[in-house]
Amino acid sequence: MTSTTRAIQLGRKERPKRGSLLLLVPGIASVVLLGILPLFIVARNSFAVADNYGGITDGLTFDNYAKLLDPVYSKTLFYSLGLGVLNTVVCLVVGYITSYYIVSRPPNRQGFLLLLVIIPFWTDFLVRTFAWITILGSGGPIAGVLGVFGVAGFSLIPSNVAVVLGLLYSFLPTAIFPIYASMRSIDPSLKEAATDLGCGWWGVHRRVILPLTGPGILGAALLTFIPTMGVFVIPVLLGGGKDPLVGNLIVTLYTEFRNQPMGAAASMVLLLLMLISMVLVGLGLKRSSAKKGA
Amino acid sequence: MTVDRVVNGFARGVFVFLYLPIVAVIVYSFNAAGTNTRFEGLTLQWYVELFQDAALMQTLQTSAIVAVITATVATIIGIMFALGIARYRGRGRASLLALIALPLIVPEIVLGVALLSVFSTTRIPLGIGTLVLGHLIVSLPLATLVLMSSAVMLDPSLPEAATDLGCTPWQTFTRVYFPLLRPAVVAAWLLSFTTSFSNIVMSTFLSGVGSTTLPLKIYSSLKTGLTPTINALGALLILLTLVIVLLVGVTQMRRILVESRG
Repeated sequence: MTSTTRAIQLGRKERPKRGSLLLLVPGIASVVLLGILPLFIVARNSFAVADNYGGITDGLTFDNYAKLLDPVYSKTLFYSLGLGVLNTVVCLVVGYITSYYIVSRPPNRQGFLLLLVIIPFWTDFLVRTFAWITILGSGGPIAGVLGVFGVAGFSLIPSNVAVVLGLLYSFLPTAIFPIYASMRSIDPSLKEAATDLGCGWWGVHRRVILPLTGPGILGAALLTFIPTMGVFVIPVLLGGGKDPLVGNLIVTLYTEFRNQPMGAAASMVLLLLMLISMVLVGLGLKRSSAKKGA
Repeated sequence: MTVDRVVNGFARGVFVFLYLPIVAVIVYSFNAAGTNTRFEGLTLQWYVELFQDAALMQTLQTSAIVAVITATVATIIGIMFALGIARYRGRGRASLLALIALPLIVPEIVLGVALLSVFSTTRIPLGIGTLVLGHLIVSLPLATLVLMSSAVMLDPSLPEAATDLGCTPWQTFTRVYFPLLRPAVVAAWLLSFTTSFSNIVMSTFLSGVGSTTLPLKIYSSLKTGLTPTINALGALLILLTLVIVLLVGVTQMRRILVESRG
């Protein structure tokens, strides 16, 4: 391309600027009005005093946050953090292995395997959850097989095992996509070189593939950790509601107790944890790209 | 190499794990034994009962209306944003992209209570309208990202040629942009539709009396136990997912879910 034609094209690109800015208005307005401003209202409400009718008064107090430290609530908070960490670690490990399997197949087979991950990802969340009631419940295939061997009364519904399986099932595809995306861009000759230099399976992964997949793993962790804590359907349907997550706490406070200020405080805690993990992931990404540059 | 074999075997097991629930829902939806206790032969009875359940059909209608409106609005706003940002090279481009993707990062439940707070403060009654607004904020980023990935690949000389040949901006849109973006428009609409149709989190906070959505109805009936009718409904929803995934196409799906994250 000659410099004149490029100059003409650039000149043309500059011209419709004002028109293009107007096109952005509805999108930006939607996010600001339906997303950002409402979040500020929640932030404000978390310092407000509840009245007796499910509304709020204008007061300013830290009581709502202080009450979250009460064992009744803090138990839920710590349990959620624990389950969030557990689910994230399991999703990352299983997601890593699955991604590596997909990446090592020939390209046309990769497309098919990816499709196999995409279908469950888009399947209705409730269907994906209640399917486990069928599988693990007293009338399911496992109970049927055990019944043949004389083990009667098998049922894992409700149980914490079912909750963990349900969470893994819900978040595994979410974790696979970013990890696969990172792994796909790794030059295969790096793996060959490492093998030629005497690295075994473990060495190849620890020294070559795992570090280069870092950004994808961090992205997957971000998409798994906090969203797990906000889940409320799985603990009710698969866990019998005995061990609630922060998501259940928020739903109960808003819809049953009609205590908006406390619900707002619990929501702000979730939002704050999200921001903290985003900063941590940002720092992690910076470190991994600095390493790559060195 | 033995480690390789074990790891590959594990990965194959993961694919079994991904399909076990889907197969179970479909198989048990044809199970003649009503209480799910044993498999006792095939029946279509649950599908018949499903469509005779008037209350359930009412919620299906609500969900369909909300999803169609949400998907249409999200797609229109998404097209505008995608075309605007594809041509915009000025300052703040990165911030604008981050802004439009923001609702994907904020936990959905927090977005739900945030909108509920707005509606309860302003005394806007909960119903179809509030559901649409809530579903819009979670579908819009998705629709926009899908459309943007196509819009940035458009050759800028095509609309310029149209303008030079005397097309008005609207004609340029209908004759040049829209035909070129059509696959992305279809994908954005379908994915926004499913996002809204299967949404439970926003709906929990934003549905009012008489505007119960299908997922809310399924959730409340599941609290008392899984019925074969719900299994049949689940099988139909799985079929819907399959149709949508195939309509959007694997290539495009891959671009949305993998390449945009690479």
